[in-house]
Amino acid sequence: MNTSSPMTLVDRWSESLRAAGPLPGPGWLQRLRERAVSEFSESGLPNRKTESWKYTPVRAFEKLEPPAFGSDRGVQAVVRPQALLDADCTMVDIANGVLAAPLPEAPNGVSILALAEGMQRYEIQLKRLIEKVDLEGSSNAFAALNTACLEQGLVVHVSENVHAGALLMRWASSAGGASQFQSFRVFLLLEAGAQLDFLEQYQSEETAEKGLNVIIQAELGHGAALGHIRVQSEPESMTLLTSTSIGQTADSRYSYRGFDLGGGMVRHEFEAELNGPRAFADFSGAFVLDNKRHVDNHVSVDHASPDCRSEQFFRGVLGGRSRGVFNGRALIRTGADGSSVRQSNANLLLSELAEMDTKPELEIYADEVEASHGATVGRLDEDAVFYLRTRGLGDDQARRMLTSAFCRAVTERIEDRALAAKVAEMVDSAMPGGLPGNSAGPKAES
Amino acid sequence: MLEIRNLHATVGGKPILKGLDLKVDPGEVHAIMGPNGAGKSTLGNVIAGREGYEVTAGEVIYNGKDLLELEPEERACEGIFLAFQYPVEIPGVNNTYFLRAALNAQRKYRGEPELDSMQFLKLVRAKLEILHISDDLMHRAVNEGFSGGEKKRNEIFQMAVLEPRLAILDETDSGLDIDALRIVAEGVNRQRSEKRSIIVVTHYQRLLDYIVPDRVHVLADGKIAASGGAELALKLEEQGYTWLEQGGIQALDMEIRA
Ligand SMILES: Nc1ncnc2c1ncn2[C@@H]1O[C@H](COP(=O)(O)OP(=O)(O)O)[C@@H](O)[C@H]1O
Ligand SMILES: [Mg+2]
Repeated sequence: MNTSSPMTLVDRWSESLRAAGPLPGPGWLQRLRERAVSEFSESGLPNRKTESWKYTPVRAFEKLEPPAFGSDRGVQAVVRPQALLDADCTMVDIANGVLAAPLPEAPNGVSILALAEGMQRYEIQLKRLIEKVDLEGSSNAFAALNTACLEQGLVVHVSENVHAGALLMRWASSAGGASQFQSFRVFLLLEAGAQLDFLEQYQSEETAEKGLNVIIQAELGHGAALGHIRVQSEPESMTLLTSTSIGQTADSRYSYRGFDLGGGMVRHEFEAELNGPRAFADFSGAFVLDNKRHVDNHVSVDHASPDCRSEQFFRGVLGGRSRGVFNGRALIRTGADGSSVRQSNANLLLSELAEMDTKPELEIYADEVEASHGATVGRLDEDAVFYLRTRGLGDDQARRMLTSAFCRAVTERIEDRALAAKVAEMVDSAMPGGLPGNSAGPKAES
Repeated sequence: MLEIRNLHATVGGKPILKGLDLKVDPGEVHAIMGPNGAGKSTLGNVIAGREGYEVTAGEVIYNGKDLLELEPEERACEGIFLAFQYPVEIPGVNNTYFLRAALNAQRKYRGEPELDSMQFLKLVRAKLEILHISDDLMHRAVNEGFSGGEKKRNEIFQMAVLEPRLAILDETDSGLDIDALRIVAEGVNRQRSEKRSIIVVTHYQRLLDYIVPDRVHVLADGKIAASGGAELALKLEEQGYTWLEQGGIQALDMEIRA
């Protein structure tokens, strides 16, 4: 296969990773990093033949500089976005991929630490999580890269039965400087009965041209609850990759509410392992795309224990020449009887040139499983548009109203009513302008 | 108010209206009756401006304006209201929010100040009662999961709030039980005024016991086949549409002309 230019990139990046020399950390981590570099340089970036990357081209990475190290990355120049939550929540800033110091004071029973300190306190847990990340093959190239440059990271630990409240992470990159590819790792360790609301806000300066490769690894103890909200409004010049893995034990709950309102090339991977009875994982996301933006959500839930529930609920609005991808997998292993899996993916195409690829994958090997799934790609209901217009609403206003209602099914899943309203407003203002009519196009499928 | 002359319209290339004439003066209530497929809803859709309904000949003059030149929302803002035969369900759009947005769009068009949600609630409260519309219904998505009767009452409620100058009620009576029919009729009757014209499209005479029309028209095969007073509706009810299709219309025509 002749892929000379990506090969060059992989060589170049591998070389710069090797040149970075040993990074701080224990010996096992040094060795793992070296292995990660070899894996990366051997397998290279995913391409069209990599099944899980079939619809998501890696072109966007070619303009990026090799992964960056150290904290000297023009952090001062970074403009921080207006916080999504009001003042008194605990806030952590990541600027150009660097954890901003000092870290906020953590509430009682909660530790918020930089990776180096976290490693000293929680080495056994972190080692297990870090070693768990699959580095092999081109589909895991970015995980290998992240491991190879594992240096910047955040460790959050919530002690038994402690309700930690909200932690807001603000990700921002500056417009100036090199187009670095930044890696970051977040560890969320929730002991039995612990609760945490983890919010992420991604918002960089308008012309920031950087890449972000984030891995989030969470472990939920018995009955722990992690609420994860992500609002991403990056400029089109940004490339964002995230991978979130949740290890769940009995009666634990994880919920994701994700909103992709910006970014040029965005891909989110999720993996939940339901390893104890009655665990619940609930993924809900919406995206709004225009121009040539790209958003890919890859969700995979592993039901390894009986009586667990999982849900995947994603909505997409696509205008311009944008492209969306949804891949929702649920595996119900032998013995995971009484599992319940719900999956729904609905998409609205506002333009002839937009494209959506959606693929549910249900694999069921257990008994008494409740499973439902549905995927639709359609257009605005022209009967509804006409109905609204006969009441006096302009064509554009009618289309906006319907499109925004379509996404509200996801914003409504945010428990905090005030935040839900705020996010709904952000979703509305991210709607593609003009919303051209498609009266000639086919009607919504169902 | 409304004058339709020699209206020809096609739907999907198929001729449906074939030379329809109709004149409605301010304050009048006209009933249009006719068999299924006669073109009654087509007429409503042409007046409201639905895409896909192509006018191939004739004209529609509304308050001295060429109605066919206007976009559907302009027609609405000029005072035209269509109560749908099949009101559309709009998931995710709150009924109250929708109606306030619609009213404000019309007020804006007329250069009137927009209403905030408190002012709006004050305005609609009494109208909700007349139509027996619960708060619950107002908090739900427009028509979503509404029963047939609830949908029809919601249409008339919208009419009450938007206060159109010309309302076309397309089979607002179909699917209603007798109690619901009374409620809807009461809602409509309260809106009769010398400035407002209403066209009641119906398949059955029943509704006209409650909303007594000034004129009754029979629409058959894309044309007004006969016109008369309220008694024409009774005659139709007695004889049935088959009688009409089998040539009874000529006899009737004679009767009316006589
Ligand atoms: N969207 C459409 N496409 C094709 N034919 C239609 C459409 N709407 C109505 N028609 C046809 O037009 C004729 C008149 O329909 P309609 O106006 O609904 O009649 P009515 O309301 O009097 O029952 C019918 O033959 C119907 O099948
Ligand atoms: Mg009809």
